[in-house]
Amino acid sequence: MKRLNASERVARLLAIIPWVASQSGAHLEEIAERFDYPRKHLEADLLEVVGMVGVYPFTPDTQIEVVLDDDRVWIHYADWFARPLRLSSEQAMSLLAAGESVLELSGEESGPLLGGLTKLGAALGIDKGLEIRLGSAPEETLDLLRSAITDNRVMQITYYTYGRDESTTRAIEPARVFADGGEWYVSAHCRQANDERVFRIDRIAEATLLDEHFESRGNGDTASFSARDDDPRIQLALSSDAAWVIHQYPHEGVEETADGGYIVTLAITAVPWLERLLVRLGPAAQIVEAAPGIPVDLVRASASRVLARYQ
Amino acid sequence: MNLLAALLHTPVPLSAESLRTRVGGYPDAGASFHRAFERDKEDLRSMGIPISVGAVPASDPPLDGYRIDPKEYAGSDPKLDPDELAALHLATTLVRFGDVSGDQALVQVGGVVGDATSTAPVAALPADPNLNPLFDAVRNKASVAFVYNDVQRTIDPYKLAFQGGHWYLTGFDHLRGEQRDFRVDRIAGAVEPGGPATTTRPDGLTGDRAQSWELGDEEPVVATLLVDADQSGWAKHYLGRDAVAKAHDDGSAEFALTVRNREAFRSFVLTFLDHAELLGPPELRAELISWLEELAA
Repeated sequence: MKRLNASERVARLLAIIPWVASQSGAHLEEIAERFDYPRKHLEADLLEVVGMVGVYPFTPDTQIEVVLDDDRVWIHYADWFARPLRLSSEQAMSLLAAGESVLELSGEESGPLLGGLTKLGAALGIDKGLEIRLGSAPEETLDLLRSAITDNRVMQITYYTYGRDESTTRAIEPARVFADGGEWYVSAHCRQANDERVFRIDRIAEATLLDEHFESRGNGDTASFSARDDDPRIQLALSSDAAWVIHQYPHEGVEETADGGYIVTLAITAVPWLERLLVRLGPAAQIVEAAPGIPVDLVRASASRVLARYQ
Repeated sequence: MNLLAALLHTPVPLSAESLRTRVGGYPDAGASFHRAFERDKEDLRSMGIPISVGAVPASDPPLDGYRIDPKEYAGSDPKLDPDELAALHLATTLVRFGDVSGDQALVQVGGVVGDATSTAPVAALPADPNLNPLFDAVRNKASVAFVYNDVQRTIDPYKLAFQGGHWYLTGFDHLRGEQRDFRVDRIAGAVEPGGPATTTRPDGLTGDRAQSWELGDEEPVVATLLVDADQSGWAKHYLGRDAVAKAHDDGSAEFALTVRNREAFRSFVLTFLDHAELLGPPELRAELISWLEELAA
């Protein structure tokens, strides 16, 4: 259970009141659980917050009545709060989007999730207006990874590292599969690097389940990208057209310039990644400052190499 | 909460002053009352509570009054069963949307049912401030106006879709007179709500949204892209097998792709560096060569 701040507590109470009012003597335990409300504050908040609510002239019939008996509670005269507050657009979207995502992943064509989503969509007046695709990864690889995680089996993969532009074969201990930015990833302990690594599933060219089992190392809560302190840094001047770079890639600081452009600092984990970025951006990006590890001649050399294919 | 009760209770707008005397607990009239009142009002609004402003009846000069319409306050009850609530609870634990609290949304539709504590999230969907007005417009079948690709447009929104890590809007573009896709994070500035939509969503509006190079206003051309064997597996997965025009014995493949946005297409082709070659049409190939020549100079 998370801690709730003052207005979050009020928001919860506004949902609790109509529910309790519609029951005849709800149990405090059940309220705390159903509304994820801190049990130790529940009694006091019902009596001292909800029980004090009323309207002018605050006669007994214009005030909410809260009756507590042992571990049960009754609420009367709470007609203003007879119904829960409607969902905000964001909240409505969060429920529908989460539900649609999971529905797509599971491929279910019936069941409580579909039932719930249909009812929710009807109540919110939205019908097929929201579609979620978390991204696709080759189904066979995903299935293999899931069974490797469930059974703690070591996997051998041939992986194409986009940043370094090379393919390698390695043994991994998969920990968690997740989607981010439209792609599916697996976080795993890589035996070759002897460290946690994150692999993009669609870049796994071959995958084999090995007979060997591994010891679980925790939940694999690794982010899909993390820079190291000793990675070289580069500072780029981007024109306003290239603003997508800032949204798309993790950066370490950005400044807006007078002409609507940006100065952004990036950590470079692999030079070919930067090469690609700069060749794509062309004149929209200029190197302001680059750490010694980054070749000065990068863009020219890379463009010439690609150009060689066309001559 | 007393302020909320008073605002829901009143059939007519009430002035700040009469709320002060009716609600109780406020400081005496003056600056400190106004600060406290404004803060409370803001708190309620930030919880999504719709406070409307109207003239206080029989006030001269007219005074601003406040009230909450009980019909606007409450949504319609979806009447979810416990197993449906539990399924939605599991879903909001697996997939998060911005920093919206799934639990608070769930308690407003019936409660947080079932145990999902042992579940690790599998995905996080980004939120965007423009999604709210677009979602409302889809819901209310209203039009919206926004600037996209430097052009001011009026759109009847049909559908929001999340794909490839981005949110897309599909709708009828009154400027172009046809249905178009827009990337929500490329909308410049804020989406402005407009009047009722004048077109209706066609049936069967599903399917994959367009790639970046298909989102444009240029005359469409079909480009042929040769991808080397070491990258062709990924390319087939990404572009779809239907896009394969020719598969070569060495494992490389040619893809036929419709291009409406040449800049975006060039950017895509260059992500392959020297593992791919744009074979045609000659015009696009020439443009790519001159782009590279400039960088290589």
